[in-house]
Amino acid sequence: MDIDAIYTQIKSQIETAASPAELEELKVRFLGRKGMIADLTGTIPSLPAAERAAFGQRVNLLKNNTGRMLEEKMAALSVSGSAEERQAVDITMPGVAQRIGHIHPITQVVEEICSVFTRMGFCVVEGPEIETEFNNFTGLNIPLNHPSRDAFDTFYLNSKLQTPNSKLLLRSHTSPVQVRVMKSRKPPLAVVVPGRVYRPDAVDASHSFMFHQVEGFVVDRDIKFSDLKGVLEVFAKAVFGKEIKMRFRPHFFPFTEPSAEVDISCIICKGRGCSVCGRKGWLEILGSGMIHPNVFKHVGYGAKIYTGFAFGMGVDRIAMLKYGIDDIRLFYENDLRFLHQF
Amino acid sequence: MKVTYNWLKEFVDLKIAPRQLAEKLTMAGLEVTALEERGGDFVFEIEITSNRPDWLSVFGVAREVAAITGKKLKPPLIKNPKPLPARQAGKNQDLAKVSIRVENKKDCPLYTAKIIRGVKVDPSPEWLRKRLESVGCRSVNNLVDITNYVLFEQGEPLHAFDLDKISGGVIAVRRARDNEKITTIDGTQRMLSAQMLVIADKDKPIAIAGVMGGGESEVTPATRNLLLEAAVFDPIAVRLGRQKLALQSESSYRFERGVDLQTVVSASQRAVKLILDLCGGELVAAVTSGSAKVKTESIAFDLAASNSMLGVDIPPAKAGNILKALGFKSRPAGRMKLGVCVPAFRQDVTSEVDLTEELARIYGYEKIPVTVPRVMPVILPAADRDFAGKIRSILIGLGLDEAVTYSLVDNNSAAGLLADAPLEVANPLSKEQAVLRTTLIPGLLKSVATNLNQKQQYVNIFEIANVFSFTASGHREELCLGIALCGVKPNFIAEQGVIKEEASMMHIKGALETLFHRLGLGNYAFRQAGGGFEVVFGTEALGRAIEISSAILGRFEIKGRRVFAAELNLAKIFKLAVINKKFKPLPLYPSIARDVSFLVKEGIPAADILQAAAGEAGALLEDARVIDYYKGKQIPAGLKSLTISCVYRSQERTLTEEEINPVHASLVARLKSKFGAQLR
Repeated sequence: MDIDAIYTQIKSQIETAASPAELEELKVRFLGRKGMIADLTGTIPSLPAAERAAFGQRVNLLKNNTGRMLEEKMAALSVSGSAEERQAVDITMPGVAQRIGHIHPITQVVEEICSVFTRMGFCVVEGPEIETEFNNFTGLNIPLNHPSRDAFDTFYLNSKLQTPNSKLLLRSHTSPVQVRVMKSRKPPLAVVVPGRVYRPDAVDASHSFMFHQVEGFVVDRDIKFSDLKGVLEVFAKAVFGKEIKMRFRPHFFPFTEPSAEVDISCIICKGRGCSVCGRKGWLEILGSGMIHPNVFKHVGYGAKIYTGFAFGMGVDRIAMLKYGIDDIRLFYENDLRFLHQF
Repeated sequence: MKVTYNWLKEFVDLKIAPRQLAEKLTMAGLEVTALEERGGDFVFEIEITSNRPDWLSVFGVAREVAAITGKKLKPPLIKNPKPLPARQAGKNQDLAKVSIRVENKKDCPLYTAKIIRGVKVDPSPEWLRKRLESVGCRSVNNLVDITNYVLFEQGEPLHAFDLDKISGGVIAVRRARDNEKITTIDGTQRMLSAQMLVIADKDKPIAIAGVMGGGESEVTPATRNLLLEAAVFDPIAVRLGRQKLALQSESSYRFERGVDLQTVVSASQRAVKLILDLCGGELVAAVTSGSAKVKTESIAFDLAASNSMLGVDIPPAKAGNILKALGFKSRPAGRMKLGVCVPAFRQDVTSEVDLTEELARIYGYEKIPVTVPRVMPVILPAADRDFAGKIRSILIGLGLDEAVTYSLVDNNSAAGLLADAPLEVANPLSKEQAVLRTTLIPGLLKSVATNLNQKQQYVNIFEIANVFSFTASGHREELCLGIALCGVKPNFIAEQGVIKEEASMMHIKGALETLFHRLGLGNYAFRQAGGGFEVVFGTEALGRAIEISSAILGRFEIKGRRVFAAELNLAKIFKLAVINKKFKPLPLYPSIARDVSFLVKEGIPAADILQAAAGEAGALLEDARVIDYYKGKQIPAGLKSLTISCVYRSQERTLTEEEINPVHASLVARLKSKFGAQLR
């Protein structure tokens, strides 16, 4: 039989095959142990010796081509699939995917806050959780025996190596990093500082002896209170939405003056008053102010050269408001039913 | 602190509704946290910041109200009651002979005593009782109530002693002696120590100065003659005393923050007037030690600089008016400059920035414009935080959830985990938070236990946080990564059924290998150690992996489960990480792959086999790795089945089968001869 004719026949049959099953049948018929090509090979010994080699090569080529065509058609069928096969997929079954993990909501909120500020040109700096009394208090204009210290109850460390002048403690806020950065760098500075902080508060739904803060500060010539308002407005709208209202209330912090607490209109009731905002319509989200000249003095910046502002916020509280979480302890229990929601 | 609308009205002409007033006070820095209607009056609960003792009185708040509403302040009308001339004091004259001895002027710059005889202690009239109750103060009797009334009205704590209980005609203001005792008016006996400031008579302490009076000398219904104390005590002495005694009072709260010397005079006069009116009696003597004179602070105020710091343009006349309304005296001192005199009740104002704040408060923060500063971006080199972020995303990709656990732990929590000596907290809240953790593993185990209790099938978690410990040079605070894996994870449903993964030591290893690869960290090694392995770089240990012993699991109440954990020192790893990766050109010539499956003894490490294969095959072997592993029924005991995939490639030419066949054959022969591999 003419090999070319056989090739044409094989080719057309493969091309018209409509399903993988049909293709499997063709494969057996063409390439099987008792298939067409095996038959052809079986005829070789009966040929005249001079023709055997050439015929053998052509059969071999036919075998290779047939194999290739079958493979290609099989690939094509499995890609497109027949109409019946497509119906066979139950799309209500769960999809197939690797289970990937979840980033802790506190981390997500820290990253979101830092990212808003880095987009404004701030850089992110971290500091140690074990601090000196100087960096945590004195350098920040918080005198040792003053009632302003009461707001910063602090865990002290029993360190055999510490002297009375450099008592070690667990930082009660991220503000000591202001002192660290200003001591090591000159303005202009625009820095945010995320981190863990500690205060001896008994644990309940809204208190934790360990929580997270993000501190920020800008120092340069001619930094104004109005700049503080602008930067914090960009921040609050980025995190809580463009439609929120803001207000700056005078307050007292030893390390800033003038100082302000910042409220946003309640994101739950839109300012009408609800249980989350204590019927006030406002939620306090951060403390801020112009850096006190005594802080600049402690870090060795010359008097009246620079001005700057600083602000600090509780990440846990912001995360609770943002996600509607009503118990701070959930952050530290790491219940997967909780973590998997973020 | 509480004040009422009607009480404020006595000092300022209020035309503004209570709710609006609350709003204005809040926006001036006196945050009104509650407003409540009560018996025809309105009670404001105000949070007073610790820098403003002058606001700890109705009159002080009224001064602020006057400034923010633009009304006049009406000071309380006080006539200075004069003591009776000595000859009229008659037979009680000896009562008037009280001397005041102040041991240290710094402890008590001013002490005034008024001696009143013949009072009648009765229940208070209704107006007095109601007013005190509206600000949360219980009525006792007319005398005690008057001292409290004046305290709330003027912010000066007063104390009334029963004069007949004071022995020796002496009032001494001195530091206590060690082991002196006093029973305070709350009926508690308190042990005093040398740093506490007391009021004493000839024999013994009769009050803890500025904190609480003594029970023995307190006013009772039987009291006829009294000594009314109005004084100023050193804030730090009062603070240390009340801290040591854990005894906070309305009185100590104010003295700690600072009481104005001049208020002492007016408050004492006001109280005497009320006592004579309500309790009867006669003022027979007024004794004073110290002086109410204060050096007034004067500040040269640069209004231009202040405006510039706020971003506003307050003209000098307006600035002057604001300061005047708050009780300051100011006069022009050049262009945009003011000379400002600080009133005695504003001890918190010492510098220009304090005045800037006063201007901003009354001018209104809401009127300050909104601008954005010019920020000069500074690019810092990649820090720990950037690496930590990278690690977090790799581990999330591997299916681990991020946990955040407490840094303060029970001292026993790390037992059995090869931990360093911990740093102790000097003032812990409880035993559970007594030390800083030296390892992240216990916190993760606690979270694993929480989740197993919730019937979770698997818990795969990690935490990136600092660990702390003692070192020879001080203390160590280093960023670490902790991982804990437990249980069977149903990865996904495929046609073959559910593809499950059971946590194992090899999952820990796989996670670490992936991490190191992505951080560009080569040349590390895993070294078998104990029930797990160590990760080393040269001689330096980077971390460890362990299977948690059942004894430790028992401590966390985890039963019948296997938990695998790892801890890496990220501080060390970040130093070794390669930030700038280099591209390796893709190969020009095709490769030839050969797999070989064989049985070998179980104890032979795969690494040895791969190493021998590489040594035998030489340069043409590009890669050899284990691609299949089986141990079980179909294989004789003591043996394992391995399949190794060998990839051959030349960088100079296309390799032919003929070239590779003998190389691969000798590789296989080497495995047979060296390890006794039996081909399958």
